[in-house]
Amino acid sequence: MLSKEQLERYSRQILINGFGEEGQAKLKRAKVFIAGVGGLGSVTATYLAAAGVGVIRIVDHDKVELSNLNRQILHRAEDIGKKKVDSAAKRLKSINPEVKIEAVAEKMTEANISELVTGFDLIVDAMDNLPTRYLLNKIAIDKEIPFFHGAVNGFEGRAMTIIPGQTACLRCVYRGAVVEGSFPVVGVTPGVIGCIQATEVIKYLLGAGQLLGNRLLVYDGLNMKFTQFKVKRDPNCQHCGALKDKN
Amino acid sequence: MSVKIKLHRSLAKLADGQAVVEVNGNTVGRCLEQMSARFPKLKKRLFEKDGALSRILEIYVNGESIYPDELATVVKDGDELDTVVRISGG
Repeated sequence: MLSKEQLERYSRQILINGFGEEGQAKLKRAKVFIAGVGGLGSVTATYLAAAGVGVIRIVDHDKVELSNLNRQILHRAEDIGKKKVDSAAKRLKSINPEVKIEAVAEKMTEANISELVTGFDLIVDAMDNLPTRYLLNKIAIDKEIPFFHGAVNGFEGRAMTIIPGQTACLRCVYRGAVVEGSFPVVGVTPGVIGCIQATEVIKYLLGAGQLLGNRLLVYDGLNMKFTQFKVKRDPNCQHCGALKDKN
Repeated sequence: MSVKIKLHRSLAKLADGQAVVEVNGNTVGRCLEQMSARFPKLKKRLFEKDGALSRILEIYVNGESIYPDELATVVKDGDELDTVVRISGG
């Protein structure tokens, strides 16, 4: 049951055909895990908080730096030197005080990842490195938690939604490493990709539309072009190969 | 026999700025080898030292993933290959 204030706050999205109060209640019941509150995580967390997701756990062990501020829109100049999860939690609470924000300033590792994601309905991949993405992909597969992938570089980005047992996972399509380190990026790129990830999350929670499963969406901002590539489960995948097909 | 290879921006720079290169190999591997013979600067970006496909490159044929056996994948006249460089920033 939504309060009078909630009905007003979410009135424009409740108006969407197929959304309604029932859809809003689904968002309110949801527990979302966001790995990273940098460029992508700032955007996904902002829109999911604004949309009224009930619980958002943000996990990031970094502190805010000046060079983050061209794209990491949850952080401000006065936050430099503070934990990212703290400045993010403060902004998210000011956007929507009804959302429960759980700020965890820990590095995600093999030792703690299982405990960190337990009890959450889905995982948003807003990381900046492939090893942690693989760690998240693996735990998402092992615990059969939907996983929402996004990545950016320069004016380019990509997104894919992984439903364990139904769609290709990251390891079904990615061979291995990428060049790590400081990557070039303009803030609008994680803006675009983070919004796509948040859209996918909302669709998943509502049970609406067609998810980006078995499709890799590649965004080329310089040519303003979106391209979709079909991907498929790899029966020999190191992460999901043993998972029974649920289609 | 003609196969079009669409080049990622970073690769096109190494192919005299060409966004699309036409080749006539019968496998993805042969197509990429032909292209790198024509544009030698591409070789290091397409292949690992042992001849395997670069670990940061993805190849799609007619819009579909051919992972994990990219180089051995057979292609036919009219096929289009996309070369996409993997990214991981957030």
